[in-house]
Amino acid sequence: MVSRRDFFMGAGALVGAGLVTRAGAASLPEAPVMSSAATQPPLAPPNGRPYNPVVTLNGWSLPWRMNNGVKEFHLVAEPVVRELAPGMKANLWGYNGQSPGPTIEVVEGDRVRIFVTNKLPEHTSIHWHGQRLPNGMDGVTGLTQPGIQPGKTFVYEFVARRPGTFMYHPHADEMTQMAMGMMGFWVTHPKNPGSMRVDRDFVFLLNNYDIDPGSYTPKVNTMLDFNLFTFNSRVFPGIDSMNVRQGDRVRIRVGNLTMTNHPIHLHGHEFVVAGTDGGWTPPASRWPEVTTDIAVGQMRAIEFDATDPGDWAFHCHKSHHTMNAMGHNVPTMIGVDQRGIVQKINKLVPDYMVMGERGMADMGEMEMPLPDNTLPMMGGQGPFGSVEMGGMFTVVKVRKDQKPGDYKDPGWYKHPAGTLAYEWKGETPQAARSDSAGGQSMPAEGRQGTIEMNVRKPSGHAGHH
Amino acid sequence: MIFQSIMSGARPLSIGLTAVVLTGCATFSKDGGLDAVSAMTAERTGQTVQFARPGSNTETIENNVHQLLSKPLTPDTAVQIALQNNRALQASLAELGIAESDLVQAGRMRNPGFSFGRMRGGDELEIERGIMFDIVGLLTIPIRRDIEGRRFEQARLQAASQAVRLVAETRKAYFNAVAAQQTAQYMEQVGMAAEASAELAKRMAKVGNWSKLDQAREQAFHADATAQIARAKHNAIAAREQLARLMGVWGAGTAFQLPDRLPDLPKEVGAINDIEAQAMRQRLDIQMAKYDTEATASALGLTKATGFINVLHAGYANKSTTDAPRENGYEIELELPIFDWGGAKTARAEAVYMQSLHRTADIAVRARSEVRESYSAYRTSYDLAKHYRDEVVPLRKRISDEMLLRYNGMLASVFELLADARDQINSVNAAIEAQRDFWVADTDLQSAVNGTGGASTPMRGQASSQTAAQAH
Ligand SMILES: [Cu+2]
Repeated sequence: MVSRRDFFMGAGALVGAGLVTRAGAASLPEAPVMSSAATQPPLAPPNGRPYNPVVTLNGWSLPWRMNNGVKEFHLVAEPVVRELAPGMKANLWGYNGQSPGPTIEVVEGDRVRIFVTNKLPEHTSIHWHGQRLPNGMDGVTGLTQPGIQPGKTFVYEFVARRPGTFMYHPHADEMTQMAMGMMGFWVTHPKNPGSMRVDRDFVFLLNNYDIDPGSYTPKVNTMLDFNLFTFNSRVFPGIDSMNVRQGDRVRIRVGNLTMTNHPIHLHGHEFVVAGTDGGWTPPASRWPEVTTDIAVGQMRAIEFDATDPGDWAFHCHKSHHTMNAMGHNVPTMIGVDQRGIVQKINKLVPDYMVMGERGMADMGEMEMPLPDNTLPMMGGQGPFGSVEMGGMFTVVKVRKDQKPGDYKDPGWYKHPAGTLAYEWKGETPQAARSDSAGGQSMPAEGRQGTIEMNVRKPSGHAGHH
Repeated sequence: MIFQSIMSGARPLSIGLTAVVLTGCATFSKDGGLDAVSAMTAERTGQTVQFARPGSNTETIENNVHQLLSKPLTPDTAVQIALQNNRALQASLAELGIAESDLVQAGRMRNPGFSFGRMRGGDELEIERGIMFDIVGLLTIPIRRDIEGRRFEQARLQAASQAVRLVAETRKAYFNAVAAQQTAQYMEQVGMAAEASAELAKRMAKVGNWSKLDQAREQAFHADATAQIARAKHNAIAAREQLARLMGVWGAGTAFQLPDRLPDLPKEVGAINDIEAQAMRQRLDIQMAKYDTEATASALGLTKATGFINVLHAGYANKSTTDAPRENGYEIELELPIFDWGGAKTARAEAVYMQSLHRTADIAVRARSEVRESYSAYRTSYDLAKHYRDEVVPLRKRISDEMLLRYNGMLASVFELLADARDQINSVNAAIEAQRDFWVADTDLQSAVNGTGGASTPMRGQASSQTAAQAH
């Protein structure tokens, strides 16, 4: 099926959900479905109040219909298959074909009616995280409403009173449903499109999954030891870059629905936190940062002027969160000489190769067969080799010639002469080093003698095996 | 069947006449009863028996054995060697000769004897002279001949059953020896994995990546594995020696070679059709029991007919499984029917006959049950061995393959990889055990159908579950 509305010029794979459309043509609005995990161009409002649309990283915005001045959306909660990155797919639960669900964009003062159809095997509900609304629309099963049973459709209706950044997620069997990827982004634009205006406005959610290597479905009972940390249910190298024009005012809105906080870090620019869960921060109270911690359940809108061209890394600063699935109990092999042992192991396991002796970068270099549906712990090819990253990592690409409204990937940055780090080819004299580690305020008593440690430096022997 | 032609029913006596006629009749057979034994053994095991006669064919046999020992043994060549070379069997074949000479002796009259006695008491001298002629011996020649004929036949059955048992024991020892040797080889591989782990652990501790605790754990596993290897090696030697004993080899002969692997499982298992009836026809203990009953019947007939010939026949020793030599013989008593006309003796003979009948029936019932049990063991061990071959081992291999993929992705450590390799090897060992159990059960089934019954066969447990639990 083809999209009946021509919102997405040229791109996208938006299709009408046949069943719902036919069954409820008289009363229910259409429930479009997205089949692609690629970033879709912004959805320019075809009707209603004007606003500057956002771009959902590796996601899309949900079209609506106007019905007597009310904006009507239709979300279908259903099992989906989400591509986490090329080479890995996951059985998740989401909305309208993807997890996370589509971004809902409305304008301050809009009356909004959202139809929620449940196609999950168990009841659900939707909580509109951060919204001011009548208590009965808050979507907490048992407390403010009964659960939406499988096959049923509920209607939520309220006025989007406060402009800002919001999320939606179930408040029914919440642990399971969020571990399965049920969530979405919500933006309420200011009534005046000129207020808080930026040139590019990116949004995404932080989420995490525990998908055992070789399997497809998240382990919903995991509490903290997740192995996939995602932006909008995507991991590097599957996360699209954020492409901007030099001089653009850029906003990135991030909501955290994982089980831990994430210090989100941007290279090459400083930014300010322009908005939180509670709304816009007054300009006078903003201070410059290059990393902002986004706690669980929080939202942050950061803003900066993209002054400096280049490919700027943008990632969570918890280094395990920039890795894909890895063995957290694998011992450190650095400096462990395996000569003589390898032959023995090869007799038992012929395809065994030494890894980790020099560190773990081997992983980024070697292309070795992995379990089904499993991404390498680190990888991603950049112009200078492996980026050695996974998980919550992407790039902000600032280009002089990126046209306004153009979100296409401009390719790798070409560094002007003299602006690229280079190898020193001259002599390397021994650097002067201190031989004491400084004083101690409280030296331990009765601990004499030092342990003799050998510093192992790379010796040319790398007979790599 | 040979023994049936020899056997004779209780026939009325005409002692006086026949005695003289039959006197010269009993002579030594050409083969000393060996051909019959060999035929019976061949019918049941496919292998013939050779008797080493001093000075005649010992050299041929030595050459044969030497020839057979020069190549890696098969179950059949091991059995051939045992049948020619096992001294206990040869001893029991020699017994045939004793039985035969008894038989021949029984057909001859004892030589007349002359006795001279001289006694002196005080000044009295008594000189006694006498000529003795064995009247009783003469009168009982036909009875004796009959009994000795049966005893000879029993001896042949006994020798055949010993040969068949030797075949079974040798086959089992062969399978045990090959399996134990294979297991010892695989245990060496487990040892190699443990050694690699321990060495790696040592190096990790040396560069500061691991604690003494972690290192000691790997070291402990290696130490355990070393002990297991020692046991496995001894087991291989013990199993080999058991085979050497049964084949009767010593000195240079003990350097025999075994193949690397057990024979493959047959494509299909034999069907159960008719197996009990076959056992009834074939089993040697049943034939011996029947034969014993027939002998008792003949004695009963004798007692009934004459009333004054009392034959106490100690026949087939029912449970001759111990190594103690069978003790049986007989005694013939001629009485003068003056006071007792033999009514009580007849009743007793009848009771002895009934006892013998019941014993035969008991052996038959037990034999049928043994056959059924052995078949179940055979069938189950086949299914198990196939299950190990087709399911357990390939699954273990798949686990190892997946483990390697996990190692590649830095999702698992080299220690997990090595622990898994050990598990895989242990599952191969369990598969070898299952295969060995099948061949042993196959042999036991043959014994239950053709010999004198195999051992009861409980299914052995799997070895690798223990070691798998030890892996960290
Ligand atoms: Cu993080």
